[in-house]
Amino acid sequence: MCVWFPMWSLGRPDAPSDDPLLIVDDRVTGATKDVLAAGVALGMPRREAEAMAPFATVLIRDQGEESRRFEPVVEAIEALIPRVEVVSPGLVFVPISGAVRFYGGEVVLAELVEKEMARLVGQVRCGLALVGVADGPFAARWAAITADAGRPNIVDDTIGFISRLDLAALRESLNADELIDTFRWLGVSTLGDLARLPREALATRFGNPGLLAHRLASGEDRLVDSREIPADLAVDASFEEPLESLDAVAFAARALAERLLRGLRAAGVAPHRVSILAEAAEGAPRERIWRSADPFTEKALSDRVWWQLRAWVEAGGVPGGISRLRIAPADLSDEGRQLGLLQDETSIVEAERALARAQALLGPEGVLQGRAQGGRMPQERVAWSRWGEPSVEEERESSAPWPGTTPSPSPALVPPRLQPLEVEWDGGMPTRLRLGTRWEPVLTWSGPWRLSGRWWAGEQDADRYQLVTSVGAFLCVVSEGRAFLAGVYD
Amino acid sequence: MLGVPGTGLTRLGLRLLATPSLTGPVVALDTRRWISPEAAWETGVIPENLIIVRCDQPQIWSKVTAALLEGVRALYAEVPVGAKEQDLRRLAALARARKVAVAMRPMGNGLPSGVAHLRLRALGVTWEGADQGHGQLRKRRLVLEASGKGAAGVTRRFEVEDEGSHVVRVVSHVVPGEARRAVG
Repeated sequence: MCVWFPMWSLGRPDAPSDDPLLIVDDRVTGATKDVLAAGVALGMPRREAEAMAPFATVLIRDQGEESRRFEPVVEAIEALIPRVEVVSPGLVFVPISGAVRFYGGEVVLAELVEKEMARLVGQVRCGLALVGVADGPFAARWAAITADAGRPNIVDDTIGFISRLDLAALRESLNADELIDTFRWLGVSTLGDLARLPREALATRFGNPGLLAHRLASGEDRLVDSREIPADLAVDASFEEPLESLDAVAFAARALAERLLRGLRAAGVAPHRVSILAEAAEGAPRERIWRSADPFTEKALSDRVWWQLRAWVEAGGVPGGISRLRIAPADLSDEGRQLGLLQDETSIVEAERALARAQALLGPEGVLQGRAQGGRMPQERVAWSRWGEPSVEEERESSAPWPGTTPSPSPALVPPRLQPLEVEWDGGMPTRLRLGTRWEPVLTWSGPWRLSGRWWAGEQDADRYQLVTSVGAFLCVVSEGRAFLAGVYD
Repeated sequence: MLGVPGTGLTRLGLRLLATPSLTGPVVALDTRRWISPEAAWETGVIPENLIIVRCDQPQIWSKVTAALLEGVRALYAEVPVGAKEQDLRRLAALARARKVAVAMRPMGNGLPSGVAHLRLRALGVTWEGADQGHGQLRKRRLVLEASGKGAAGVTRRFEVEDEGSHVVRVVSHVVPGEARRAVG
């Protein structure tokens, strides 16, 4: 069974109550009705959504806070059916084979869960839950997606249900847009079409992603590539002084997640599901299962452990503090990261740790990665994204021709914005420029190269010059009679 | 690496990251928020493996550098004005202990003695390609003076040629081989 609150992120307490609202990380995770009416959809890239609904208040998603709010919901489901598996705040899977016999049928059980959810969260901003029942998480997820609020979608014929789904249904599980486009180009439009293709042929032509796509299309998603769990790979830590402060809990969560994945990596496996157990100093132990379609990375796992512990601590679920923590892996697969021929796993893991520490000191904006994009000025040609986060989409297509672009070699130092520069001219030719407190004669120069601005957007035309002095060369932009420094050839 | 902005030392420092970037992440520590990754990509640094760390707060610069030295294999670091001598010595010891290749570019007066294995001082730079409005910048020739333990205690002069999309190379006969070897 899948229980899904599509708009869970909307229910955050700091959200303005009547304003149109858009909750985003790099994609849309929540939007109010008026914003949805403007054409915004869940999962849409943030920039596109902001352009479609400029009137909306945009808030950045806080999954820690969402997890804390979601904990009572998980507990309520767990009171009806044990072994709830949390995927993200607002989305859980529940194995129901035992509970169906206990409650006397899928319909009774699904309605019971639906009613309990409605009672718990009501029709507040985060909306009603969608409940779907089918064989396996992939089918159950799509049963929930296609369900109506207040009416559970119980799928009797899972294979038939999956086969009617459009190929786009694979997007969330596979994260391989190119593969889906290739299937479409080959004339495959539904999962049924895909399932009818020979599996060996797909595996040979498209490798692991093709094989996984065929398995999902054939309704075989449970325990994909499941492996025997090697001798106890679970990690635990006991604390003489129970952890009560959130900082201490965060640190412990990170350390334990790192230890778990280090052990698993050495055994050549990666977890898709983990069980997090916390023993309270004065009370019963708490346990929760988290699952993920992709193998957990260190960041993804430590985030989830931290969210879970924070939810327990803030809700007073671990009286007296946490005295012992245990993370046990399950659903192991050999889907590790595919390294390049020359890449060294140890150095990558060590570097990632070092960068995470630097990020902790400087904040997320302090550690960045650049990606080439189109543009005529050096300032435009790099799309920046935070390290560890998905790269931002390029604003300007890099494969476009971009005539008139500043030629290579590129300046190694590029100010984020053009800096005023004092240049002396004689009959339209630069003669000297001011660097700090001294004037340097211009030995030679190239240019001007005309840069035509978008006049309709208020941009001015400008001329570019490369000025060479005895201490180096500089890229200079002259606009409306004023000179600016655009780069240093350092 | 000592020299005023414009002499080409940033590009040379970024070039030193090219070979280590084949095997894992490398970092350019930027104190002015001006370093452009495009120049690094042109010198052969693998784009996916280049991380730019921006630290414009001198008071935590040494902590950030130490954290990076714990994990990365190669680092190009701008040193802010006011970095403490004691911190620089500690960082040099840490880099040696961890066998990290570090190129430091002081923004102020240079590094205290004993910190650098090899000192490179930019003596002069000339450009080819631009001519009184015609053409465009094509080739830079940078004259460097190498000294310190890495130069066997002898002060040597050599010339480095940089054509943008081509490999930075040593053209003088004084010190044969590629620039990265000379830096060690």
